[in-house]
Amino acid sequence: MGIGTREQPSGDDPVVAIYRAALPQVYGYLLPRCRSVDVAEDLTAETFAAAVAAVRRGRVGEVTVAWLVGVARHKLVDHWRRVGREQRGLAAVRCTQDDADDPWQEVHDLDAAHAALWRLSVPQRLALTLRYLDGLSVPEVAEQLGRTVHGTETLLVRARAALRRVYEEEERDERSA
Amino acid sequence: MNDPLERLRIPIVPIAPRAEFADDLLRRLQGTEPRARDTATVRYFVDDLDAAVTFYRDLLGFDVELRPSPTFAMLYRGDLRLLLSVPGDPHVLPDGTLPQPGGDNRISLLVDDLAAAVAALRSGGAQVRGEIGGGVTVASALLQDPAGNPVELIEPRRGYHERSRRGAELRRPQRPSTTTKEEPQ
Repeated sequence: MGIGTREQPSGDDPVVAIYRAALPQVYGYLLPRCRSVDVAEDLTAETFAAAVAAVRRGRVGEVTVAWLVGVARHKLVDHWRRVGREQRGLAAVRCTQDDADDPWQEVHDLDAAHAALWRLSVPQRLALTLRYLDGLSVPEVAEQLGRTVHGTETLLVRARAALRRVYEEEERDERSA
Repeated sequence: MNDPLERLRIPIVPIAPRAEFADDLLRRLQGTEPRARDTATVRYFVDDLDAAVTFYRDLLGFDVELRPSPTFAMLYRGDLRLLLSVPGDPHVLPDGTLPQPGGDNRISLLVDDLAAAVAALRSGGAQVRGEIGGGVTVASALLQDPAGNPVELIEPRRGYHERSRRGAELRRPQRPSTTTKEEPQ
């Protein structure tokens, strides 16, 4: 037996304080949106690394869960943009103007609607995630995506139509199965 | 406006990640602490790296940080970084000789219960030189690593002085490299 005296992290260490306060919230934000433990863990680590760096540079007055979730959202956007660049050229679900003009009355099956997001192109999934899963306003989505508000509105209209098409296709398949 | 897709909202429900991930993340975050600049580094020469690493890790509670070659290892214990080197070409002195393990200079490690620590170390196979001794402000014992380097253990007594971390930060600009620690007589 030895005399190991590994120190426990002290309560006043700002890094430890940030980590303890917000790890489950940040991970709880990312996991349902990523649908992958590996990706959620990577983005959680990136989020905290960025948060700690910002705090050390004195750029953050007060670290709150809301601020950290905002950092996590940036990381999610960056991640999906990288994925989107890699997958550019893959067939996305196409929609017509008719789809876009026909209002969607009701979403019966939320799980199916969330799952349908994953059959959309990355930009469409990203826009719908920010607008509906996160509840951001259209101008806020535009800011996250670095697009104009008008361009974001167009993207959202098409993304909604694509989502509806996938969702209804799956609903039909289920009924006929 | 009633948008049916508003129902897709996912509220943030805290989810505990895997414990291994959480522990690893905390270590990584702490590893980037600027406090690393305050680490005191000591190099010990050893002739048998395996034996030395085993001694410092298993008996004295050091963490092995790096072991990139058969002749070098980096260990940590709190703010002390201990480099273990097998003497070789990079260490040749101007007169052609190589540094040797041993001598009388030593690192001092603070323990809470010196008697218990010494008993544990003896039962673990460590060589303890003599008995517990010390001075006015500390009790001390001297052991040696497998290469013969001395390692001192000290237990504070009344009057022992240790500069607080806060105090060290306040004084650093005037006294950049000093440390204050009572030595046994």
